[in-house]
Amino acid sequence: MKIQTTDPVTHPEQILYRRCTIDLKNGKQKMEDVPCQNLEDVLGGFGRSFQLLAERNISRAYSAENPLIINTGLLTGSSAMTGLRTYFSSYSPIKGSKAGLPAAMWSAGSGKFGCKFKWAGLDELIFENRSEKPVYVLIKETIDGPEITLKPAEHLLGLSTHKKIMTLHKEYDDAHFAVIGQAGENWQNVTMGSVALSTVNQLKSGDDKLRFAGRGGMGSIMGHKNIIALVAQSTDKHPPITKEVKEVHKQVITGGGSARLQPIKRGGGGGTWAAYDVMQPFHAVPVNNYRPQGNNLAEKLFRENVEKDYDIQSAACYRCGITCHNYISEKNPDGSRGDFIAKFDYEPLNLLSTNIGIHDPGQAGRLIHLCDNYGMDAISLGVTISYALSYNERHPENPLFNGATFGDYEKIRELIILSGEGKLPGIGKGSRHLSELMGETDYAYHIKGLEIAAYLPETNPGYCWAIAGGHMSMGSYGTLIREGLSDVDSWVKVITEDKLHIVGFDMVGLCKFFDITQGIGTDKIATCLKSDFNLEIEPEKIKAAVRRAFLLGLALELRQGYTKAEYCLPAEVTEKPNPHINLPNISNPEFMAELAEKVWEVFDKELEGLIP
Amino acid sequence: MQITVSLHGVFRIDRFKLKTLEYPAGSDIQKVIDDLKIPVKLLGIMLINRVHAKSTDILHDGDTLMLLPLLEGG
Repeated sequence: MKIQTTDPVTHPEQILYRRCTIDLKNGKQKMEDVPCQNLEDVLGGFGRSFQLLAERNISRAYSAENPLIINTGLLTGSSAMTGLRTYFSSYSPIKGSKAGLPAAMWSAGSGKFGCKFKWAGLDELIFENRSEKPVYVLIKETIDGPEITLKPAEHLLGLSTHKKIMTLHKEYDDAHFAVIGQAGENWQNVTMGSVALSTVNQLKSGDDKLRFAGRGGMGSIMGHKNIIALVAQSTDKHPPITKEVKEVHKQVITGGGSARLQPIKRGGGGGTWAAYDVMQPFHAVPVNNYRPQGNNLAEKLFRENVEKDYDIQSAACYRCGITCHNYISEKNPDGSRGDFIAKFDYEPLNLLSTNIGIHDPGQAGRLIHLCDNYGMDAISLGVTISYALSYNERHPENPLFNGATFGDYEKIRELIILSGEGKLPGIGKGSRHLSELMGETDYAYHIKGLEIAAYLPETNPGYCWAIAGGHMSMGSYGTLIREGLSDVDSWVKVITEDKLHIVGFDMVGLCKFFDITQGIGTDKIATCLKSDFNLEIEPEKIKAAVRRAFLLGLALELRQGYTKAEYCLPAEVTEKPNPHINLPNISNPEFMAELAEKVWEVFDKELEGLIP
Repeated sequence: MQITVSLHGVFRIDRFKLKTLEYPAGSDIQKVIDDLKIPVKLLGIMLINRVHAKSTDILHDGDTLMLLPLLEGG
């Protein structure tokens, strides 16, 4: 970025970002410094990429006209803790309207790739058309600026995400990587392909401790473009951490939002996985395709039960003090740590264990490991499998695929392998596709074509207005459980005012755990921007830019053919209320109808004229 | 009065899962939190008889108080 002002609100054009556009058909490149048009451009991430996507009329995700945009946020690679994010944006092959048009989508991931990308001198990379042959893209720092080369990638084909990264790691020092797995290579039959991002820990240990930009099939888009991997090679350029930013970091680590994520030995709650303990008393942990039965099955994956037989290690991303996740390893007979199995994070864990009837931690870990190595979105994969298992439970006489049922580890494992290899499009193309094929859509747990996260829809009507996945783009998922809010007006405020701002973290380059409680429009963010870039931005201006970006996302959905009737929860939720959930019923048809009317009343006014 | 206290998640470590405790009439939730040394920064949800409550709410004989950690993100 070239920053020539301290006032990006009044003078965004005095901030320029370095963009390279590559035409994969002929290899031509255009490198340019682009003046920002508004604060959304300055902050970056989807705030910038969605403005570009809005300029395109795309009717098919797998088309030469659909660009793949890779960018970072302003604070990616900065001194701010969690500033690791890379964003992949495109029209999605899995999320789309019933009119048949693909939705604009972004997906975010950590790892160190984003930092290396930025330190190479690049802010945004756009791929147009598609390459005839498989390539990987080398982004290299030189004294004249970033140099980008397309290289043959045949030797990477067929390798897992982890093996691709480790193969490239042998060749490139001081580099980090973004790759697809076999799933993305088989994009024709897998629309839920993810992009895997390398981590410092992975390259050092050799264990497959990756991060993922999972949602929306951005890995499948990358596969369609025949880009197998991205390599960002540059020297580290950590800015000095000022005392002001140190104070912010202290607040981040000790603040309410991240406190529960800290390791137990540091007085924390033990990572995202601890959501199990909080939701189970309400019988709100998804079980067997989002239908908990009021029993204690979910408790089998409580930490206290897992640690009896497995080694649990708290872990953090690069230079992050939040320590949000846990690594699960075998426990040797002498109690020492054995082989690494998988990373336990709440969403992949639940959707590839309890929600498919698997209650053994080791089996759950191995399914997560498989999903990660094939490069699929754990949420979409888990939910599509749980749909298939639910179908088979309802149709034992004529089951789908291999007849897998809830809890049948071997058969579920086989489904994942076949899906990852592109041999099972019934799973690989997601739950909406499968449910429409089977003619039973009521219990397919997607909204607007994208599978929902591991929070029951009964607890989160806000899912309907999430613009890029249920929990990452509408922060309302814990509201009912946490606060017990059960009146329509409170939920209107939650959706239209408070919780949409979670998407701001996917603009600026930070993880949402930076401040999950207070959100994006805080002095903490403003302090980091001032400290690293001498930019003066009032928190309210940041919030306003985030709101505009969110609304553009909503406007884009409507332009791509979504009707307001599609902003609804899965039919089973409203038509067959689950009596076992110990929470107020806020998903009944009357509540949802009134909520929709009032939410649209707010949003409609602001959507006018957003897209020409 | 007797209050049944149900603890969840990390609050169970070195404490208990479920216990009936004696409290003087008029005690509020905060009194229980203080007595059990529940870390406030981790405390997310308080329920009296399964209804969301706040720390200043007064407890009554026979109430069940549930204390749960924060729920944020996944």
